[in-house]
Amino acid sequence: MLLSTVVNGAEVSLDIAPDARLIDVLRNALALTGTKEGCAEGECGACTVVLDGVAVNACLVLAAQVQGKSVLTVEGLSSAGRPNELQKKFVELGAIQCGFCTPGILMSATALLAGRRRPSHDEIRRALAGNLCRCTGYAAIIEAVAAAAGEEGSQT
Amino acid sequence: MATPFKYVGRSYPAPDASAKVSGELIYGSDLRLPGMLYAQLVLSPHAHATVGLIDTKKALSVPGVVGVYSYHNAPATPYCRYRIVPGQGGCIDDETLFASTARFVGDRVAAVVALSLEAAREAARLIEVIYTERPPVLSADAALEPGAALVHPGGNLVHEFDHATGDPAALPASAVTTCTAVRTQMLHHAAIEPHTCLADFDVSGKLTIWSPCQSVYGVRSVVADLLGLPYNRVRVVKVPMGGSFGGKQESILEPVTAYLAMQTGRPVSLTLNREECIRATMVRPEQRSVVRSVIRADGVLLDLEIDTLMAAGAYASSSPDYAEAMAQKLTRLYRVRRYRHRGRVAYTTAPVAGGMRGWGAPDIATCAEIHMDQIARQLGMDPLDFRLLNLVHPGDIDPVTGRSVGEARVRQCLERGAEAFGWRDRVAMPPGRGRIRRAVGLACGAHKNGLLSDAFPESNTMTLKMNEDGSLDLNASIHEVGAGSVVTLKTIIAEELDVAPEMISAREADSETSPYDFGCFGSRMTYICGASARALAAKLRARLIEAAAELLEVSSAILEAANGRVQCIGVAGTGLSYRQIVQGSRTRHARDMIMTHTYKGTSNPGSYSVQFAEVEVDVLTGLTRVTQVLTAVDIGRAINRGMVEGQCRGAIQAGIGSALSEEVVIDSTGRAGTGGFKNYHLVNAADMPPVTVLLVEHDGDDGPYGAKSVGEIATVPTAAAIVNAVNRALGTVITTLPLTPERIVATLLGETAEIGGRDALCF
Repeated sequence: MLLSTVVNGAEVSLDIAPDARLIDVLRNALALTGTKEGCAEGECGACTVVLDGVAVNACLVLAAQVQGKSVLTVEGLSSAGRPNELQKKFVELGAIQCGFCTPGILMSATALLAGRRRPSHDEIRRALAGNLCRCTGYAAIIEAVAAAAGEEGSQT
Repeated sequence: MATPFKYVGRSYPAPDASAKVSGELIYGSDLRLPGMLYAQLVLSPHAHATVGLIDTKKALSVPGVVGVYSYHNAPATPYCRYRIVPGQGGCIDDETLFASTARFVGDRVAAVVALSLEAAREAARLIEVIYTERPPVLSADAALEPGAALVHPGGNLVHEFDHATGDPAALPASAVTTCTAVRTQMLHHAAIEPHTCLADFDVSGKLTIWSPCQSVYGVRSVVADLLGLPYNRVRVVKVPMGGSFGGKQESILEPVTAYLAMQTGRPVSLTLNREECIRATMVRPEQRSVVRSVIRADGVLLDLEIDTLMAAGAYASSSPDYAEAMAQKLTRLYRVRRYRHRGRVAYTTAPVAGGMRGWGAPDIATCAEIHMDQIARQLGMDPLDFRLLNLVHPGDIDPVTGRSVGEARVRQCLERGAEAFGWRDRVAMPPGRGRIRRAVGLACGAHKNGLLSDAFPESNTMTLKMNEDGSLDLNASIHEVGAGSVVTLKTIIAEELDVAPEMISAREADSETSPYDFGCFGSRMTYICGASARALAAKLRARLIEAAAELLEVSSAILEAANGRVQCIGVAGTGLSYRQIVQGSRTRHARDMIMTHTYKGTSNPGSYSVQFAEVEVDVLTGLTRVTQVLTAVDIGRAINRGMVEGQCRGAIQAGIGSALSEEVVIDSTGRAGTGGFKNYHLVNAADMPPVTVLLVEHDGDDGPYGAKSVGEIATVPTAAAIVNAVNRALGTVITTLPLTPERIVATLLGETAEIGGRDALCF
């Protein structure tokens, strides 16, 4: 079937199998390998992307379901190779170790911050509850999201 | 705090942090090569079975399928996936590329290679295997019973030992004895990146393996020996790794992927899914230890005697060494008059056991520290006081290894941690009588710094080159596992040469071009490789000073290296910049600024952590919530402070899981009931308690600037601290981990025999 969608702001048209998962189309057909596969059952969150403003697990979404919608992946966060505020805070505040869960966490945080300017630490924790990290113990990640929210808040 | 260091002790982002946040970093499963084929494994659905005929007709007719491999058409050469060094003792060659006898649910029976992953999967489903089932062997106890089915022809006992030190004579009349039997469960490492490997065998006859591994030289040796290739025709490249925690330290996927690449002459990619990672890679072993001790009435520990029984799973792998490692932890932690440790390791028809973060230290600390709390309770002592009375002091000789524990500051960790946590006040608080019971617990742990022992030397070789612009290239066999080793080494070199860390490039391990190193094992990265980097940089600094003296025609005695130049001692801006020295040396004296150094390990002190935890247990549901953790770590020196704290917090995330929720469960047919994160529960962001990290820093050990290991020790006492808190909250002595709600409720209802920890094993 022909899929027409928007990925990271660009219109995309491609032929896909009707049962193709969104994660496979992103990673294989579009070579957007920043979206990671950790469990294929929606538990680890490494494949989180933002679909029309909502964080979803790309392993549980069929590509056909994004017809006519807009998908944001980790590759869409930077503009012209420059990291956005959230990405900068992740680097600066040590929110990254092995980095495999990082793209998914960035996308969950992106969806949270789009809907809520100054989330509390508890709100951040709940928004990231579907993203597993085995390296960091989450503290630096939560601080980075809060700091990015503060930074963006102070700019507006 | 005033610090004599310019770069050491600050916080630096993880290696490749920018590429990690942009999504551009290419991990193993992201790699694509022209003409690449995809492999799919066929795993045994039976715990124990003879593999008979394999009908591949339907599979081979799937469009895009290139080949199907099994023991019928592949070599049956046995190998040991754990072997790091050729000729390494304690390695048992009992595994083959494909099983003719399936020994666990998940054993490799066949592999399909195809043009697409979809075709490989479809073909794998169509392979028909005739199995003749045999009785499963579900536990180490069952394995050693007379008449048990044999997992391997030589018998189920893989390894046993009985080590004793000290004098068993004359116990004082007032001595008391205590016994505790503790069981720790099978654990999944749960790196978020699944296991993956890519291999290519080119027309020149060279095999290249791209793998997120912990030892390129170890993988090279295992694969080259197995496939009959010279070591210089097997190139292993360490690619970015999405976590390991020990789960990727052995040659698990590399041999089979390399074989498939050789057979097809095409690049072959193999990536497991989560279920395969849990069942078919390796697990932390299930073990139970009976801990008996004799204590003087005043609380002084006299004798400690441990009896460990451990399940190796289907293949021996590292299990013999792992059990031995468990016997080398407690005498680094406690002063005892006599220590005896008996161990037995048995084959079972279960997932292969192997090293996980801490390599036996968390397992045995969990057993011992639950026991120590039981002693303190029996004596009516505060568990803190009991430990203060018995913990090692700096400079003590570990009677088991015969080596010094070094500048062991475990007592300082305990005292500072107790004060910051408010232990004395909190331990006196009653747990309450309502539905929610609250209590605190503590535990201590010891680990090592490298592999050095009487049986094994320690060394590392690195090369450091300074370019004509003063920038540097470090060529070392680095295996970055996500703990920041690359940054640690750069920081050390920056400090030693007084240049900005950004001036230094460091590649990860590549067996074709990197100098030899054992790999990322045994908490040796900072202590051994870091000391190696420091010695190497000091050597290059001396060479720079010498070269500058030659160019300036002055005595090197009046020169020093500072701020990226060699100057007259104490006079900034004089002398020559590094750039001028490198350029001048080459053009005037035909001298290159490149040094290679082999560092030899000289010591193996203890690393220590003491942890304090508060829990709330719901006696109705059995659900435990960890509300606070404090960890005090004898780090010696933090090189990258932020990363050290991150390591500590991540270690506690894993430790909480091992105490309360994580377990790979095997059912009565030998099937792993655990097939994914749906029923293997990691602590998530919402459940993670606040963690306070206290670092005890000091000089005195041989690591760079006094630094010791952190990645493993940080997780050693966590589970025990939490279990001790739960037992204090409930007035129980639960000794079977994990403390799931079901287990807690069953204990409170009196449905288990383990209250008091004095089960039958103690008599």
